[in-house]
Amino acid sequence: MSHSEIFVQQLINGLTIGMIYALIALGYTMVYGIIQLINFAHGEIFMAGAFLGLTVFGLFSPALKLNSALMLILMFVSAMFVCGLLGGLIERAAYRPLRKSPRLSCLITAIGVSFILQNLMMLIWGPVNKSFPAFFKHSALSLGPLRITFMQGFIIITSLVMMSALHFFVTRTMLGKALRATSEDMTASRLMGIKVNRVISLCFLIGSGLGGAGGVMYGMYYNSISFHDGYLVGIKAFTAAVLGGIGNVPGAMLGGVALGMLEGLGAGYLSSEWKNVFAFLILVGLLLCWPSGILRKLRNE
Amino acid sequence: MFSLGAKKPGVFKIGCVGPITGDQASLGLDQLHALQIAVDEANAKGEIIPGYRLEVVSLDDQHNPSQAVAMAKRLAADPLVLAVVGHVNSSCSLSAAPIYQNARIAQISPSSSNPEISRKGFDTFFRTCATDDIQAPQAAYFAFERLKAKKVFVIDDKTTYGKGIADEFEKEIRRLGASVLGHEGIIQGEKDFTPLLTKIKGLSPDLIFFGGMYPEGALLVRQAKSLGLSSQWLGGDGIYVSAFIDLAKEDAEGVYCTFIGADVSNMESAKRYLEIYTARFGQQRGPYSAYAYDAANIIIDAIRKAAKKDRPAVLAQVRVTKDFSGVVGLTSFDEKGDSSIQLIGVFQVRNQAFEYVGSARE
Repeated sequence: MSHSEIFVQQLINGLTIGMIYALIALGYTMVYGIIQLINFAHGEIFMAGAFLGLTVFGLFSPALKLNSALMLILMFVSAMFVCGLLGGLIERAAYRPLRKSPRLSCLITAIGVSFILQNLMMLIWGPVNKSFPAFFKHSALSLGPLRITFMQGFIIITSLVMMSALHFFVTRTMLGKALRATSEDMTASRLMGIKVNRVISLCFLIGSGLGGAGGVMYGMYYNSISFHDGYLVGIKAFTAAVLGGIGNVPGAMLGGVALGMLEGLGAGYLSSEWKNVFAFLILVGLLLCWPSGILRKLRNE
Repeated sequence: MFSLGAKKPGVFKIGCVGPITGDQASLGLDQLHALQIAVDEANAKGEIIPGYRLEVVSLDDQHNPSQAVAMAKRLAADPLVLAVVGHVNSSCSLSAAPIYQNARIAQISPSSSNPEISRKGFDTFFRTCATDDIQAPQAAYFAFERLKAKKVFVIDDKTTYGKGIADEFEKEIRRLGASVLGHEGIIQGEKDFTPLLTKIKGLSPDLIFFGGMYPEGALLVRQAKSLGLSSQWLGGDGIYVSAFIDLAKEDAEGVYCTFIGADVSNMESAKRYLEIYTARFGQQRGPYSAYAYDAANIIIDAIRKAAKKDRPAVLAQVRVTKDFSGVVGLTSFDEKGDSSIQLIGVFQVRNQAFEYVGSARE
């Protein structure tokens, strides 16, 4: 492989993981945008999605073939649905009672919820790494020496579809408008007759559902999941959200992809042992010189 | 003392520390199972010393060196703990060893193979496995002479064990005349190694050596396959675990690994132990199981000979262990605490199982 081919291959790899970061980052950014809470439990919801996907696979694998579309749809739909409910439930039980408390109480509650979820996952699915079924084997599209595996293509396309759907929902529908209004000014929205609590629940539902989908993709891509994976991936997705400008939906998508690619290039060209350091260096550097992210939030316009 | 009917016997405790939750849990549990079997057998034969029975204290170090220190302190604080089987990981054994030394507790590890541990002068540290300064050069010899690897790439996981074995491998294979195209570290617990593997694909080495544990090892071989990287893989004993094959599935086929010991499944002396293990804990026996069982029995033997609740006395008995007839052969400890059995076996994954290829130097 020539140098430029290696470079492009690194970008493709980075784009794939970046898409997963982006899906998770959306959950952070939507929640932050609306109630200014960094929902640290989101990384665990993402991981629950991966485990749910695996459980659904286990339930249906005697009846359905590995690569059947129906199996994929079942895995994604149920993981997204259950994770969405889980996110909504957490909001209702843990965050809503604290709506009028100082922000710090909410943040600490979020960390607590994250611990509870992580330990629950360990109790339900066990402490050891679980093997995730390998979809599409290693089939790949070869363009000369470049390889895009079907799995990578699947992740990129599915994420794009989900993100476009979200973008359409936020910008073109009444509910999306309510969502934007609530994030702009909660009191004024309430005065305009928007059921603010319902909008917030919806926001958790959608964000967690996308996180769940990200979890299934993560499992399919790496074929090995463990109950504590959610922590690091969650922090990286959070970095992606900040990178794009937290509270900004297109920003989270862009931030995820940018982080995935930068991380891949850093690990490939400088040193793989500093891979995580790159992610956080980017975060620190950005906060220092461009605190509002790539896409500034145009709040006061 | 008056004995009124069935007086409850007192207890002596043997500590057992390893990762029993988390990604390397299977190794810690395996060590624990071996100790449980040995202790139950000893108790079944009657009281180990009149009036006393043995008990296992199992603690979790999560393969985290600072956690290992905390657990070692807990054992040291319990006067009934006379000796310890563990820890599993070299980094943990190394950080816990000073605590045991101060507390005069004999510590026998079945699997901590980093040579440095026994060279630091801890008079309480022993191990039943071979060491990496023997494993790594023999792995290099096998790679160069038998697999004919002339261009190699070395990866390690930056732990005491992984970096230790990878550095020794690199040194030896260079000496033999192969060219080392690169040596890079990865992060334990990380999932995405495609950036590094893409870079390696550009260099197309004959062989990739991995110094590290099976969770990362499995991901590496999987991701290498999906990138279309066709180099051969050789790993240390950290990937000689059935969980490696469970995680890597068909991509594990053809992967070689060295092990700090022989293939116990074909040893006559191990037959009875393996039957007991399978009957009680199922087929999923880990690689160091027999080594942990021998470590446990050396300790039990020492307690029996010391015949009192006295850590230094037990330690003195462990130290003079000579030709202890265990499952893996006759174990003696040298003055550093290393085992006299230093055989390095090579295995290859064939049809989803590790198959014994032979000793590395054959």
